[in-house]
Amino acid sequence: MVGDEETVVGFSLAGVQVLHVHRQKKETLERIRALLSDPSVTLLMITSSVREELGPELELLVREKRLFPLLLTIPDHRGYFPAVDELERLVRRTAGVQVVIG
Amino acid sequence: MPKAVSTVSPTRMELIRLRQRVSLAQKGHDLLEEKMEALMMEFLGLVRRIKAKRREAFSELAEAHRKLGRCMAVMGRERLLQAARSTLKRVQLESSTRSVMGVRLPLVEPPKTERRAVERGYQLHTTSALLDEASLAFERALRSLCELAELEESVRWIGYELERTRRRVNALEHVLIPRLRSLISFISFRLEEMERDNFVRLKRVKVILEERRWR
Repeated sequence: MVGDEETVVGFSLAGVQVLHVHRQKKETLERIRALLSDPSVTLLMITSSVREELGPELELLVREKRLFPLLLTIPDHRGYFPAVDELERLVRRTAGVQVVIG
Repeated sequence: MPKAVSTVSPTRMELIRLRQRVSLAQKGHDLLEEKMEALMMEFLGLVRRIKAKRREAFSELAEAHRKLGRCMAVMGRERLLQAARSTLKRVQLESSTRSVMGVRLPLVEPPKTERRAVERGYQLHTTSALLDEASLAFERALRSLCELAELEESVRWIGYELERTRRRVNALEHVLIPRLRSLISFISFRLEEMERDNFVRLKRVKVILEERRWR
């Protein structure tokens, strides 16, 4: 779980093991790189605002990862989630039609 | 394709070989197309399920955040953070894979995330009941989010595979097969031409021989 402080607090109450509060870009990227290559991690959640802030460097890491850990982008504590996210772009590209997911 | 034409020798053997290659390429093309169709079915089915799951998981998450906000207002930031720190953190996800048309897809066991207040590990007498509610809400959201992650990641991998398959189908259909076809027509044309040459040559020889006999 990587995200803003509110979200991290919430998921720590739910018992998520690895938590990282995003403060500095470099530090967070380093942490994500380590987590993505850790075989004991099954699921990595990132809030959408953090993901947008990290930008292309993160996308590069994501492209290199294997099947696990799964990566999921979730809305942040204000409920912010981009109207057209990366998954929807993929769907549109491959299916050739626009499918609204949200 | 002048280069390809110049490297091939116009013989009957070559013609037979090329014909075999075309039929093999055609077979491969048909198979890949079928694979693409199957993947597409799976893809669209998953997209539909994601739609529903996203709505559910995100609304649960929003609800959890609302409850957490309320809890923070009552308990204060410091005490909430302390409670969060002392919560037991041992959610375990069991994962495996399944395979659709040779694509490995993730499977995550639906985790048992929901716990009773005494199992969480923070001190009950220093915390508010709102904290229990918020925790429960986050545990619920976590469970839905795990299921959502499994679906989303599956769609992503099927999407990649679909793109790769489509590229291969297109390469076969628009590059390899037309090239082989043009080679075949080139060779058969040359062979016919050679036959005609030969025919004319024989005629000519015959005429010459007959002229000699008359002399």
